[in-house]
Amino acid sequence: MHGRLKVRTTEEQKLIKEKKQQEKLKAYRQGFQQILSTRHEVPYNQTSFAICSQLLIANPDISTLWNYRKEVILQEIETSDKSNEEELGKFMTSEIKLTEQCLLANPKSYGSWYHRFWVLDRHPKPDWNGEFALCSLYLMKDDRNFHCWDYRRLILEKIGIDLDAERKFSTERININFSNYSSWHYRSTLKQLNQESLDEEINLVQNAVFTDPADSSAWFYLRWILSSQDVTKKHKEDMLCKLESLQELDPDCKWIYIAKSWLTKGVRDGNSVAADGDCFRTLIQIDPLRKGHYNDCLNNID
Amino acid sequence: MATSMVNEVKGDDSVPKELLLEKHVSFLREYGQNEDNFEYGITDYLRMSGVYWGLTALDLMGKLKELPENEIVEFVQKCQDPESGGISGCINHDPHLLHTVSAIQVLCIYDRLDAINVEGVIKYVKSLQKDDGSFTGDKWGEVDTRFSFCAVLTLSLLKRMDAIDVDKAVEFVESCMNFDGGFGSRPLSESHAGLIYCCVGFLSITQRLDIIKRDTLAWWLCERQLPSGGLNGRPEKLPDVCYSWWVLSSLSMLGRLHWIDFAALEKFIVSCQDSETGGFSDRPGDITDPYHTLFGLAALSLMGNGALKRVNPTYCMPQEVIDKLELKPQILN
Repeated sequence: MHGRLKVRTTEEQKLIKEKKQQEKLKAYRQGFQQILSTRHEVPYNQTSFAICSQLLIANPDISTLWNYRKEVILQEIETSDKSNEEELGKFMTSEIKLTEQCLLANPKSYGSWYHRFWVLDRHPKPDWNGEFALCSLYLMKDDRNFHCWDYRRLILEKIGIDLDAERKFSTERININFSNYSSWHYRSTLKQLNQESLDEEINLVQNAVFTDPADSSAWFYLRWILSSQDVTKKHKEDMLCKLESLQELDPDCKWIYIAKSWLTKGVRDGNSVAADGDCFRTLIQIDPLRKGHYNDCLNNID
Repeated sequence: MATSMVNEVKGDDSVPKELLLEKHVSFLREYGQNEDNFEYGITDYLRMSGVYWGLTALDLMGKLKELPENEIVEFVQKCQDPESGGISGCINHDPHLLHTVSAIQVLCIYDRLDAINVEGVIKYVKSLQKDDGSFTGDKWGEVDTRFSFCAVLTLSLLKRMDAIDVDKAVEFVESCMNFDGGFGSRPLSESHAGLIYCCVGFLSITQRLDIIKRDTLAWWLCERQLPSGGLNGRPEKLPDVCYSWWVLSSLSMLGRLHWIDFAALEKFIVSCQDSETGGFSDRPGDITDPYHTLFGLAALSLMGNGALKRVNPTYCMPQEVIDKLELKPQILN
């Protein structure tokens, strides 16, 4: 149970709510029994199948109900031939519509996402391109839903990935909202860090951290970029210089200190030890929740 | 965005400040007593995991006897599917790895593995491994690193790790490692603290924590702690008591538990108790449930709370049960 605020109610409200809940519970139990008692019928029991839809819309996490639907679908596929392919297609499409209803009510339901893919994968004429467009549209509404990102990858396995287009998509998502860890992550899966791509990535991440230095997402990406063997001393010096000017504008931002500690490795001379020490001592002051981590960093440079 | 996250939870003076153990014992004891309670009745499909949450929480508080052992063991027996060997969430539902692992955890706590067909369970887990080493949750084919963890958790408790291809299974989990050192549900999936726990736990059981980029991942994990003291599961998300467990246990296996501020986290977890009903919720002021109650208590135990039994970070079961089974999951110093 996540994010459900406990609300104070009057005795009367409580009674009304309890009555409604008891009705729902009764309907769930009766519906489930009905499905159970007709589960193996051939052809399938249409009343049970319709009840099953209603129960899933109310709660898409009941995996046994999705399993029942898959059994029915397999039955339908088995009994159909070329002559009624269109009918089968319609049946499968209505199934996809059901998952849509379930996902609108609960966008994080594993069962609904999986069922949707499972059905499309068996559809006589699957519209993967349409599905892909829908997926992009959905990610524009909620770009942190990792189920939808995972789903996008499944579709791309079907239609073939266009790396440039996907990279462009990630750039768009990031430019709309820098604070979007999911898009940064997605980008990391599309990129081979090398000499050609490095400048573009550094540029993008610098734009992001200058726009909102307090947002963590781009800093994680920066750390990854800096792990590339193609990062030169010049890259590091340039960035260090930029971060120092950013620090003048935002002197209490912990991320700038952390990033500087990554960059000074192998850039500065004998002073770097002292500078790193100062850096971690400052971090202990401004970010005390992580002092255990910074203390370890301090011990490592000694 | 980061700046707005400072006020991520309401700082209310009325929230609890002490650990209310007695309240939690009665909350968990009474949770399953009224079959017609709406929340209880409508969540029957995940009862097996619910039993594991409630039972483990009670055991950590030293109150295992509060639940009827024979009734529970009988329930587990009835949930085993004679055909596949797998165990379901409740009677009349289909078997699934998520419930199979919970059932085995429950039986290990009771030391009652004799009550079921253990060979059937082994056969079931084995049947769910794919050629690439991954595991599906049931026969319908959904792949997820959660299921890799469930598989080795189950088999290691049954001392039958030889039933699967462990090297292949490790290879799959390794292929889910990301740029930030974390893990997601499948290759290239975004890192998420819950799935990180599953993958780190998997590698702890298979003695392969060496493949982890330890400090990269530990840093990402310690950055989950927010100004409220609570932990979130991904960057720029809200804190939630269950992440106290996923993050803390992972850091514990990585030997970096001290990268979290205990006092601040304890304060957050304790504030998520309901002083009227008992139990913990995800955030202060929300409705409590057994799931968050277990993970709140387990996190407090991992931070050394003396009122609770020690919990094992890999198995999320009392350490004494793991010791009795002579299991030694890998933990980095």
